[in-house]
Amino acid sequence: MKLDSKIPSGPVQQKWDKHRFETKLVNPANKRKYEILVVGTGLAGSSAAAALAELGYHVKVFCIQDSPRRAHSIAAQGGINAAKNYPNDGDSIYRLFYDTVKGGDFRAREANVYRLAQVANNIIDQCVAQGVPFAREYGGTLANRSFGGAQVSRTFYARGQTGQQLLLGAYSSLMRQVGKGSVKMFPRREMLELVVVDGAARGIVCRNLVTGDVESYSGHAVLLCTGGYGQVFYLSTNAIASNCSAAWRAHKHGALFANPCYTQIHPTCIPVSGDYQSKLTLMSESLRNDGRVWVPKKKGDSRSPDTIPEEERDYFLERKYPSFGNLVPRDVASRNAKQMIDEGRGVGDTGLSVYLDFGDAIKRLGESVVREKYGNLFDMYHHITDENPYKVPMRIYPAVHYTMGGLWVDYNLMTTIPGLFCLGEANFSDHGANRLGASALMQGLADGYFIIPYTLGGYLASSKLPKIDLGHAQFKAMETAVAKRAQELLSIKGKRTPGDFHRALGHIMWDKVGMARNKKGLEEALREIPKLREEFWKDVNVTGAGRELNQTLERAGRVADFLELGELMARDALHREESCGGHLREEHQTPDGEAKRDDANFAYVAAWEHKGDDAAHALHKEPLAFEEVHLTQRSYA
Amino acid sequence: MGWLFRTLNSSIGKKVQMALSGLLLCGFLVTHLAGNLFLYGGREMFNHYAKALEENPLLPAAEIGLLLLFLLHIATALRVTYGNKRARPVAYAKTACAGGKTIGSATMVFSGLLLLAFLIVHVKTFRFAPDRSDLYAMVMAAFQNKLYAGFYVAAMAALGLHLSHGFWSGFQTLGADHPKYTPWIKRLGLAFAAAVAFGFASIPIWASLR
Amino acid sequence: MTEKAKRNYTLKVWRQKDAHDAGRMAEYRAEGISPDASFLEMLDIVNEQLVRKGEDPIAFDSDCREGICGMCSCVIDGRAHGPGAATATCQLHMRAFEDGATIVVEPFRARAFPPVKDLVVDRSAFDRIIASGGFVSVNVGSAPDGNTHLVPHPVAEKAMDAAACIGCGACVAACPNASAMLFVAAKISQLSLLPQGQPERAARALNMLKRMEDEDFGNCSNHGECEAVCPKEIKLSNIARTNREFIRASVCSDE
Repeated sequence: MKLDSKIPSGPVQQKWDKHRFETKLVNPANKRKYEILVVGTGLAGSSAAAALAELGYHVKVFCIQDSPRRAHSIAAQGGINAAKNYPNDGDSIYRLFYDTVKGGDFRAREANVYRLAQVANNIIDQCVAQGVPFAREYGGTLANRSFGGAQVSRTFYARGQTGQQLLLGAYSSLMRQVGKGSVKMFPRREMLELVVVDGAARGIVCRNLVTGDVESYSGHAVLLCTGGYGQVFYLSTNAIASNCSAAWRAHKHGALFANPCYTQIHPTCIPVSGDYQSKLTLMSESLRNDGRVWVPKKKGDSRSPDTIPEEERDYFLERKYPSFGNLVPRDVASRNAKQMIDEGRGVGDTGLSVYLDFGDAIKRLGESVVREKYGNLFDMYHHITDENPYKVPMRIYPAVHYTMGGLWVDYNLMTTIPGLFCLGEANFSDHGANRLGASALMQGLADGYFIIPYTLGGYLASSKLPKIDLGHAQFKAMETAVAKRAQELLSIKGKRTPGDFHRALGHIMWDKVGMARNKKGLEEALREIPKLREEFWKDVNVTGAGRELNQTLERAGRVADFLELGELMARDALHREESCGGHLREEHQTPDGEAKRDDANFAYVAAWEHKGDDAAHALHKEPLAFEEVHLTQRSYA
Repeated sequence: MGWLFRTLNSSIGKKVQMALSGLLLCGFLVTHLAGNLFLYGGREMFNHYAKALEENPLLPAAEIGLLLLFLLHIATALRVTYGNKRARPVAYAKTACAGGKTIGSATMVFSGLLLLAFLIVHVKTFRFAPDRSDLYAMVMAAFQNKLYAGFYVAAMAALGLHLSHGFWSGFQTLGADHPKYTPWIKRLGLAFAAAVAFGFASIPIWASLR
Repeated sequence: MTEKAKRNYTLKVWRQKDAHDAGRMAEYRAEGISPDASFLEMLDIVNEQLVRKGEDPIAFDSDCREGICGMCSCVIDGRAHGPGAATATCQLHMRAFEDGATIVVEPFRARAFPPVKDLVVDRSAFDRIIASGGFVSVNVGSAPDGNTHLVPHPVAEKAMDAAACIGCGACVAACPNASAMLFVAAKISQLSLLPQGQPERAARALNMLKRMEDEDFGNCSNHGECEAVCPKEIKLSNIARTNREFIRASVCSDE
């Protein structure tokens, strides 16, 4: 298989314009003859469905929750980037592009990133027009802040609920189309199969989560907007229902899966308190502006933090990175915390956390100033942990937060299956090996509002797509496959719950495919995951029946797919003999512990092809060329 | 006129009718109470006031208007209550107050029904009394009956309860809300409820103790 | 530091097989629960035990588990989202319940929220209300520059206060009348405060309120229980504003 990224020729600034001009258009009168299936209603899915329906396409939209408004984009806190340069501080499209390529540690496509930076401004305008209540200055203009160490203030925000407000904006546009009848909404549906006819994606098979019925839907194209796969780690900041199943089904039908090992770990999460825990809660990394990260110098020091004298504390980030200190990037802060904990210097009941101490900040600024800046975060922390961070240091621990990998797509956001597009976090595209703060929201909405309306039209206008009905053999085959798989899960009647297996997989993934990986651990993971998968199919217990609301069955199906994806992640991490962004191989570090890239051998996208359940994945490489942003080594020392 | 029909039949439209009729009835309560207070001035003063009132040519119109206000308030209340009951077909096994409800708000239907019963008895006793030659004597005689006086006082307590929610609620429904003055409307409502209830109830207590 | 003492509870949970089943309360034991576990994690533990025993676990909705998606519900001990101010059920921790307590767990109850299974109800009425007018009609591509319309800081803040609604439906569950006024008012308020919402202001108020009535929600009688249970502390003043919007739209507009 030859991977063709379809990146237009010409200077990076002109590629998107040129491509839009060269892309064929669908005659307005013909648009209503096309039926588009959109799976997922996060920022990417809602915005795509609304934009396509506005153009006149018939759109069917599916989501697993009870309402499209619940998708996990809603939980994004920080903000959304755009190069408006309202603050007059030197920002430009080129600078946003440059920062994003560099932030992605040179593992993203320049052309995609440039386009993202180009349309970012339109996103802000669109969202404002929808009534998204962005923060405003006293004069009434839009407010900006600097985020995640950026040197310019380019982040737009709506309090700490930017994701919620952007999603509700997209949702309102989607619901407007539902009201007009141009979108038909199917909530509480889980896509479990892709239907490929004559080599093109032509439909999906879903399980109706209320009745358990297996339902088929046909269309001229399928858009997967199903989010990331961070839940493979069991504990993450993702939602309970976030899963990889739709993307994984597509992968098994021939869509390549790119860079699965690129995961982002966020350093400032509230630590795990017990094995019953279902979720990790993120706190804004702005906390590191005033909080100091430390652990005791002595191993296993169980004294309460206020009795540990200053000289027995190790402010390890300040010690190792004197110029950046506590403000080193996410991956560096996360890895160092893990290292301290691995050395036995972790704190708290479980030993799985490090201190984030505001004692000095409170002394320097006064409690009222600290309260003003971080009050809501302190309250949230207090509420969850029952510890008062004004009195005792906060405890933090890194958590899986975002997955940069995903289905491989070309410049048109189309996967290797014609007619199957993939948008938002579910694709691999724009973030390379590490995503910068406030750029996930930007990418989801860019894909949905401003890219897919053009590129989908190009596909439809240049393809012959004969009408097919739901009686087609391929639909029947996929319906049978879905029903059979459910029946199989229900009939095992073993001893362990799907949750037991999910936790067990999470442990392997976190320990061996987590924020610092090495050959030995990855090889162990590659032995342990298939073994666990085998046990799963022998010993899982799924109660109830298929034709009813059955949350155990839903969970089991998702865990089964995670058990396959986890293995591919380990394989990808093992093959990538370098460190880059969120992927750190302990064997490949600079002397001061930085990720050491190997551009000569690994400046490519690793796209994996499924060759059958019993065969090994095949690797395809899409080389990455850096014509605009010159390859440099990150350094924070 | 379709818009008017739609508006009056809508959820907020019904509430607006409740609020307007209720607040106008509050106005009536003020004038009624002011009149009643003439009883404290003795037979001559009260009968003089009553005569002036009854000889006012506008009185029949005012009475009809009042009747219509009451009917509107009661009929709308019943419609709204029916809709509310219908909206929750299965009751909770356990309910708790989260801090919004008050005794006044939770008992509006019951205090309202008690007031309706009182109103019928009250109108029959005083407005349609067989002998209306000496109204002062008629009132004082009625309040000598301890049972009647007790019923009157209980109804006024219900009125106080009804107003404790109804007064503020009327303003809220009409959209009169602002952080600057809403707290004062709430306080005024409670003061009004207490003053009206106490003002009316004081007379039978005073009369029966004489 | 020592591990916190585990606690035991008796749960009385509403079980209902499907929409047609009459439903009943069932009793379960929740044992060895950490006070730091969330309420939903406690239910997870009970469910894992039920699955191990081969019994049907308790169905309940939840997703983000950080109080923002609005998927979780439940009336716990007579309160929507349980005890504690400004929290969704997923943010409720077991330390809020004394060791040995009996906890009553019921679904949100309203005609407009028909039951699905156990603690799961159908809140799609909210989506239909939004579809009837909870938007600004602006197609992708036709937006002017974001700074074209200035929005004074306090107005933007007020709009954000209203926009914070997570659409969980606790307001309906808590309202003695099962009214959806707080939910509807939050959206009408947000968009009527902002300049972008002005062109459709009157039609939006009339259409959304009409849809609300057609969905069989009750009427608002200003109890304020909605405001008291709202996880996002949406204010009752939004309802007053919506009343004004309705009166204005009915009497003064051409709609």
